Amino acid sequence: MKQWIAMIMTLALIPFYLSVSGCLDGQDTDPYSDPSFHDWRLTLNGTDTRVLTLAELRSLPRAEGHGYCVSTTGFRFGPYECAGVDLRELVSLAGGMHPNDTIWISAPDGYLWVFDTEQLEGNGFITFDENLSEIPSPPLRIILMYEQDGKPLTYDDGGPARIAIISREPGIITEGSAWVKWVDTIEIRSNKG
Amino acid sequence: MTGRSIPVLIVLMICILIAGCIQGQGSGKTPLKIVAAGSLLSPFSQIEDRYEIANPDIDLQVEGHGSIQAIRQVTDLSRPFDVVAVADESLIPDLMYRPSGEGGKNFTDSYVPFARNEMVIAYTGMSRYHDEINATNWPEILSRQDVRVGFSNPMLDAAGYRALMVTMLAEDYYDDQGLFQSVIGNHFNPPLRREKDGVNLTVRLPEVLRPSSQHVAVRDGSIFLMSLLAAGGIDYAFEYRSVAEAQDFNYLTLPPEINLAHTGYTDRYEKARVILGFQRFSSIGQERVGRPIVYAMTIPSNAPHPEEGQKFIQFIVEQSRIGEKGWPTPL
Repeated sequence: MKQWIAMIMTLALIPFYLSVSGCLDGQDTDPYSDPSFHDWRLTLNGTDTRVLTLAELRSLPRAEGHGYCVSTTGFRFGPYECAGVDLRELVSLAGGMHPNDTIWISAPDGYLWVFDTEQLEGNGFITFDENLSEIPSPPLRIILMYEQDGKPLTYDDGGPARIAIISREPGIITEGSAWVKWVDTIEIRSNKG
Repeated sequence: MTGRSIPVLIVLMICILIAGCIQGQGSGKTPLKIVAAGSLLSPFSQIEDRYEIANPDIDLQVEGHGSIQAIRQVTDLSRPFDVVAVADESLIPDLMYRPSGEGGKNFTDSYVPFARNEMVIAYTGMSRYHDEINATNWPEILSRQDVRVGFSNPMLDAAGYRALMVTMLAEDYYDDQGLFQSVIGNHFNPPLRREKDGVNLTVRLPEVLRPSSQHVAVRDGSIFLMSLLAAGGIDYAFEYRSVAEAQDFNYLTLPPEINLAHTGYTDRYEKARVILGFQRFSSIGQERVGRPIVYAMTIPSNAPHPEEGQKFIQFIVEQSRIGEKGWPTPL
């Protein structure tokens, strides 16, 4: 009887051992896998200003699609199943934008990227197939991604939120320079002309 | 189940723990991590096997970025690299001669310049007017409406803003004040205007660089630009000589007064300036000034294996002197 109890206890501890050994990732579904994510805030600056927590961001309408990017030196990242919030939704929360305005996306590591209104609608991007040959661009969407392959985005992947350019069909590669990691500020700037 | 099962299970769990602990440790060799400018990836991949055969305890790991991004991996993202190799020597003192925040030591205090490069115009046997183009008539041919010209994105790649500098400098050299506009400037929306202030020539880029016609094509990096050239999507591309040579493209050399290769023309090159559309990195401003293209390497103060880094730098300096195909020119 004692042997059976010991056996049951030992088997019950296997998930713990697997977790300690790195074989299981117990943080798969926890959006706050990194403690710093509790303090993360997304600032939206336009004609209106909004500050969102991660929970508030995740409560906005969800956009999903396939994302795949390539670095300037040809290194591919992905393919990923991406989920997040359509950038148009966030721009709308900041008060919307006019045709000549631009969207400035920045992160605390000092990186900044700018989109225009045409790109906000998913136009004007260069797209490639798996062999990095250029192909006509299918419909694209820019999202602020918080989930990658069904799991909350980790810090190493740019979490809690990064830019992703997604498509409905898989295998569409976009240029990675716009995939800003660790986004914390989205600003709408007005341009004359 | 018997009493013997329990020790077996305990052994099994120890194995699992050990497996988790040793996962990713690889071959036991010392990983020598190099972060390098994109135009050095081809030369460095050429020597990787040779270096590892000569140094069997070393696993050479090379990661490519634009030169500024390469430095930022160390300075802004705190990633440990043994050697940083860039395509613009001025970036090292500009971005790394400052405290790293670890005991007040600078990210680095010295660097080794080891090669130079030059801007050329790459083309193929399919390029329109390829049998006509030469060092004198290229501005006129590249201005023709049925010709497509490419360069890499100046926001992302030094070869991109250097393409603009070459074209601006060419205006004075060929005494053709409309050259920049007809080859490049007029084919963007909004058009790129070359401003002249005394002796200085400046072009200010918009936040988003958008071609207004098929005459120009801009790609994120030279790998995509060269692929477009090979496919016939463009006829001519402004590129580094070493990159064109490594991929067996034909190329047109340009006069030393404008090709950004010669230190003797530094004053002349400095007249050409590009103001980028936005400050992509908080650690460096938006202005890029024309300078001779000099490659350099450094060992960051947080390098895990600085002695091995030093050996690698010495090896590259020696290999560079051999002057193989696809390498920048030795100093």
